[in-house]
Order: sequence, then structure tokens, then C-alpha cells
Amino acid sequence: MSLIEVENLSVTFRAKGREVRAVEGVSLTVAARESYGLVGESGSGKSTILRAICGMAPVTGGRIRIGGQVLPTPRGRAFSAQVQMVFQDPYASLHPRHTIDRTLSEPLAIHGVAGSDARVVQALTDVGLPPSFRFRYPHQLSGGQRQRVAIARALMLQPAILLLDEPTSALDASVQAEVLNLLDGLRRDRGLTFLMVSHDLAVIDHMCDRLLVMQHGRAVEELARDDLAAARMATPYARSLFAASADRMLEPAGGATE
Amino acid sequence: MTALRQWLQDPSPASRRQARLGQMWLAWLRIRRNRLAMAGLVIVGTLLVVAALAPWIAPHDPLAQDLTRRLLPPLTPGNLLGTDDFGRDILSRIIYGARITLYIIGLVAVTAPVLGLLIGTVAGYFGGWVDATLMRLTDIFLAFPRLILALALVAVLGPGIGNAILAIALTAWPPYARVARAETLTVRNSDYIAAIRLQGASPARIIAGHVVPMCLPSVIIRVTLDMAGVILIAAGLGFLGLGVQPPLPEWGLMISSGRKYLFEQWWVATMPGLAIFVVSLGFNLLGDGLRDVLDPRSAAR
Amino acid sequence: MTLLDVRNLRVTFQTETGPVQAVRGVSFSLGRERLGIVGESGSGKTITGRAVLRLIRPPGRVEADAMVFDGQDLLHATDREMRALRGKRIGMVMQDPKYSLNPVMTVGRQLTEGLRLRDGLGRADAGAKARAALEAVQIRDPDRVMDAYPHELSGGMGQRVMIAMMLIPEPDLLIADEPTSALDVTVQAEVLSILDALVRDRGMGLIFISHDLRLVARFCDRVLVMYKGRIVEEIAARDLMAARHPYTQGLLNCLPRIGGPRTPLPGLDRSGAWASGGAP
Repeated sequence: MSLIEVENLSVTFRAKGREVRAVEGVSLTVAARESYGLVGESGSGKSTILRAICGMAPVTGGRIRIGGQVLPTPRGRAFSAQVQMVFQDPYASLHPRHTIDRTLSEPLAIHGVAGSDARVVQALTDVGLPPSFRFRYPHQLSGGQRQRVAIARALMLQPAILLLDEPTSALDASVQAEVLNLLDGLRRDRGLTFLMVSHDLAVIDHMCDRLLVMQHGRAVEELARDDLAAARMATPYARSLFAASADRMLEPAGGATE
Repeated sequence: MTALRQWLQDPSPASRRQARLGQMWLAWLRIRRNRLAMAGLVIVGTLLVVAALAPWIAPHDPLAQDLTRRLLPPLTPGNLLGTDDFGRDILSRIIYGARITLYIIGLVAVTAPVLGLLIGTVAGYFGGWVDATLMRLTDIFLAFPRLILALALVAVLGPGIGNAILAIALTAWPPYARVARAETLTVRNSDYIAAIRLQGASPARIIAGHVVPMCLPSVIIRVTLDMAGVILIAAGLGFLGLGVQPPLPEWGLMISSGRKYLFEQWWVATMPGLAIFVVSLGFNLLGDGLRDVLDPRSAAR
Repeated sequence: MTLLDVRNLRVTFQTETGPVQAVRGVSFSLGRERLGIVGESGSGKTITGRAVLRLIRPPGRVEADAMVFDGQDLLHATDREMRALRGKRIGMVMQDPKYSLNPVMTVGRQLTEGLRLRDGLGRADAGAKARAALEAVQIRDPDRVMDAYPHELSGGMGQRVMIAMMLIPEPDLLIADEPTSALDVTVQAEVLSILDALVRDRGMGLIFISHDLRLVARFCDRVLVMYKGRIVEEIAARDLMAARHPYTQGLLNCLPRIGGPRTPLPGLDRSGAWASGGAP
């Protein structure tokens, strides 16, 4: 059975009398322990789907089910323990006036989990940060370190599903590699399910088993990982997106030497 | 002592308590580096000491009248800052007046900003009809001149220092609510608020633990800037017979009673005016310094 | 012909914990070509670009043995002379158009303001010139864009407006700091082809600052790779993918590739002598 089922989802933002249809009739299913990617350009509605799952976007149609259950509105604490999100900008997703310790122990305090001292230290170790970082402020950390803290925070409640909204697009290439490796390792060790958004086909290809190409709020084409690498696309848009990422192929046209 | 300092400055503290004390130590170091803030701290500290020790350091009884020695100029032997129209020693009255001033400032400072923060953050966080209702209420309060509103409140509650403070607090919160709401609107849609909401936090927890810390610095600045105004409104109420009652040595009251002699015996109004000036300056400088200290981002640079 | 010559550029920031060298001895010269500067964040690439325009404010300090633009000494130019250079002869495009355009002024007014103030053009002439500039950056309906406010434009459109604005005075040198990082790949390609055409047709010099090696390899003629304030490698762009320097190689290797293996990506090994601060 699929863990995440999104059925015919529509999201419409209303502002100043204008309606913006951010997502229109998108359906997707993600199996447990699967890693699923959403690809598209800005404004394609890929991030909006993640926000809709979290109850942070106005859903105007369709259904979202997690583990077969229709989600309640507002989402509630049970949802928090099941689904967590990692945001794009590590500079904006950590509270600037809270120490790392406060950021990581807050979810435990909300859910009344005991033993937060040991858990915070463990969480830092799990994401590859030394425990001495515990009482620092976000501004004392680099972008990659912040994103590690954000991942640690998302894992504090031991959720089954991690929603990843462009988790590495604000990071340098070498740091991106480290964070992607970390995420991959965590998924393997903990049996996590990923729903990951990115504009970078190479990142999605590296991380995901299947992916959905989106454009203007609509689903264009669903591809398996092998189809992507072999350029087996049916729609022109997916093909053009692939063509624009030609320099991200295993062997670039220039012919890299080893 | 060095061991304690090392413990406080440990870059990787072992416990939350050590981390918090270390932060406070760092804050103290930062405020100590800021000369203006230290000047403010010294002024406010002096005010506290003078108020606490008033009976021991005041040369005269602040209420004792001596009509033979009325309106003496400053530097008269025995009356350093001169005497007022009843022959009371101005220095002693200023020293005792520090107590009343501190009482008023203290009570207003703990009530009005708290009320304003609460209303502003709640309005900003929830938006919609909550925001509309609370902000219209704020507008109503802002629409009246503060003194008039305070006057009306005291007229209803009856004169006296307690009611005057209550009236001032009730008229002082709207600007804080406005400031807090504006700050809340800028942080409401940030990722870190979305993240904590996603952790299942209740609105009360988000507002108190995550939104208020972001609003606090600007509100604190506002409070310190308003202190002089608070002293003056208290004086105005006293002048109209609705606040502190004569012959209590309240600074504002002293200014209003010295007004009659402003041209011939300038010191009667000027000396308490200087006291108000110095104390407000102290609060302003301290407020500026506190803003820097409250922002942990300024620590690293 | 050398347009810009920089010798041993050093930028130091005075901080509470002592001086921090952001750029430590960078030398390069630029003709009428596309020069790429790549590096990770903190490598000093942005600071280098700003130092050329003398846009480093105190507590930052710029020192160099020489910094000459078209025969003019930039190090000892007065502020007035620098203002005359900036915009007019050396343009700069920033990463995010949102922060570079005035939000309360229409695009048209911002584009024509300089023309009318500096060049004393009339309203109609300035408008025509601005419209032509917008057309030059492939904006199809310049009239609508002229009347729009910056927030009404998409990211790609805003970035094109920024480039148009920088091109109106026809500068000899354009410094573009991550001009396409905020844009989608398809829009990115368009903006790059616009810049490319300008270098070719007008003989403009271009300094293209980016963190994206693949982009720089495709687009520039020559590339400087920076690390911690130093140039670790200077290489022709077409050879970049085959770079010899361990840092450049490391940066290339840690990128995921479509169809690549699922094994963990290789990290960047910073243990070499180049990382500790020695000369490359």
C-alpha cells in the first residue's frame, strides 16, 4: 500500500480578487521507503504540493492521504510525528534568537518527550555535527551546518516521511554532496520515505527512484530513474528540461577525461 | 575568579545552565564595551541607589517648609540647589522624588509593554478578524491625546498615584501593539515559524516562544524612549490635581509649581527638569545598548 | 588589448577578532573577453568584483600593487571619478534583481532617470532609448514593462531589466555577480545568450562571477578558480572539465550526474597544500 497518496490535488491562492491556480489536478503516490522527486521550474507548483501536504496551502480540491488516512485540518500532533519538512533556505529556517539546543529540544517539549538532553546530543551526532555546537546560535554556523541542524530538527520526532524542499539549492557544490550523502544515509538507516523537490535534475536523479515533471501547476510526466538516464520521455516539455540539463549528464558532451 | 571566567567563556558548555550563564556573561561583556550604554547604566544605577538611600543622603526633610528661606538660589550654604516657594530644599525633594519617579516608571514599564506585546503579536499572528478587531481597538486608543484619555480614566477611577499609573499604562500600550504587530507580520511567514508550526506547537507557544523574542528589541527601544513622556504625563496629571498629590515631591509636580517663577527664580523648575532629562537620557542610552545585547547576531562580529 | 589590469589585490576587513583577509593577492588582466571567476561561498569572488568598483566600505580596506582600468588608476581615483566610472563605463549586475531595483518606482522611470539626469536627454528621447535597451535584452513588450513596478515582474524579467539598465550607458566592462543563479535553466540560457551577444557585438569585457562550474565552463573564455581569497587555478574554459588542480577537480567530482551511480558522492578533500594557504 502507498504511504503517501495525493489524488487530483488543486491549490488556489486568492489575493486582491485575483485567483492563482498554483496546483491543478495533480495525483501521485509514494510507497513506503521510496524516494520520489518533483521537478519543474519556478512557479510549477512543486513546492506548493509539499506545503499543501503540511496544511500550509489552501487546498481547493482533491484528497491527500497518509497511510490510508485522510489528513485532518488542522493537521495536529499525530501528523507532526509522522511527517516533517526540510526547507530550502537554511538561513531562514532556523530561529535566529534560539540556540541549536533550543531549536532541537522544542519539538520534544511540544510532544512531551522525556530525556531531551541525551536526544539532542544524539541528534547532532547523527547528522555529523560535534556536540559542542549545541549551544551555538545559527549565525555562528555555515550554510551546510545549518542545513544539518534543520535535518536534525526534522528527525527529532522520528517521522516516517521527510518532505525536502530544495534542501541543497542554497549550498555550495561540495556541501551539497555532503548533505545529499547524509540524507541518503539517513533514509537507508531509518527506512524513511522522501518526497523531494528540486529544480536540478541531477540531484533528483541521484536521490530519487521515481520523479514527476511539473509545469504551470500541472503534472507533465512521471518517469522512473532509468527512463530519465536513458532519455525515454514522452512529452516535449520533459524532453526540453532534460536537454537544458545536458551538462549534468554522466558524460558531458565535451567529453571529460578521467 | 579566573576559573569562573573560564567556565563562563567555555566555547562548548556542558549544560544548559552553563550555556545560559555564559550568554549572560557575554552580554555583560558586550554592554561593557559600549561606552554610551555603560553611561546609561551608571545613570539608571545611580537613580536606583539614590531612591533606595533617600532618607540617608537627603540633607533636609523634603516636606519641611521654611518660609524665611523661600526661593533661595542654588549654591546657597545648606541648600545646594536652592529652595522653592515654600522654602523646601530642592535637592532633597529631587532625591525623594526619585522614589516616586522610579515607582511610576517601574509599574508602567512592566504593564504597558506587556499588554501591547500581547495584543500586537496576537493580532499580527492570527490576522483576519482578530487583527481587525484588536487593531481598531488600538486605533481608538491612539485617536485620543494620551493626557486627555488618562485624565478621563483618572476622573473615573479617582485621583491618586496608583490610579494615575494605571491610567498611564492603559494609554501607553497602543504604540507597543503597533510596533509588535509590524514585527510579527514580518516573521509570521518565515520558514522557522512554519517549521515550528509543523512540529505541532500551539499558537500560544509560537507567539510566546518564537514571535515575542523577535519583537522584544524594538519594543524595548520604544519603552526607553517613552520614559520621559511617562514622567511628564504623570506630572501633568499631578498638575491637574489628579495624579500625585502635593506636597509629595514628584519631579513633574515640582516643574509645574516652579512654572510661576520661571523668569525670576529659574532653578525651581529647571532643577527637577534637569533630573528628568538626565534620567530619560540614561534610559535611552541603556535601551540602545540593550538592543545590541539582545541580538545574539551582534556577538560574533 | 587590456581593459582591466589587477595586480596583487588584497581586501582586508577589520573585525572585533582582528583583521580578516577576504582577498589575498589576486592578479588578473582582462581584455574584451568573458572572464569567469568561480569559487564556493567565502572564496572572495564577490569581494573581488566589488573591489574593482571600489564598492568595499569601511571597515573593509582595498590594497593592490596596481588596479588600472583603460589607462585610469582605480586605486587613486577620487570618489567623484569613481562615480563617473560606475554605471557609465563599468556596469554591475547583482544576483537578485529584487534588491537592486527601487520597489516604488516604475521600471521606465528607473531606466530613464540616468539618461535624463546625466546625459540631459528629453523625456521622449530617453524613453525611446530605454525601450530599445529592453528590446535588446529580448523583452517583447517593452511598453508594458516600462510601466510596471519591479514586483510585477518575474525573476527572469527583473534580471533582464537589470541588464538593460546596465547596458544603456554602453559600458566597456560589465561585472555580473551570479546574474543567473536565481533563474530557471531555460531563462538562464536566454540571459546568457544576451550577455554573449553583447560581448561579441559591442566588444565589451565581461567578468562573470558564479559558483556554478558547469555554467562557467560553457559560457566563458577563461576561468579563474578561487579558494579562500586566492586564485588556485587559471584555465581556459573549454579545458575546465579536465582541470588538473585538485580543488577544481574535487568541485567537479562532487556534483551528482544524471545516470551516475547511487554510491555516496565523493566529498571535497581539503587536505592538500593548496587548502592550507600556500601558493598554488
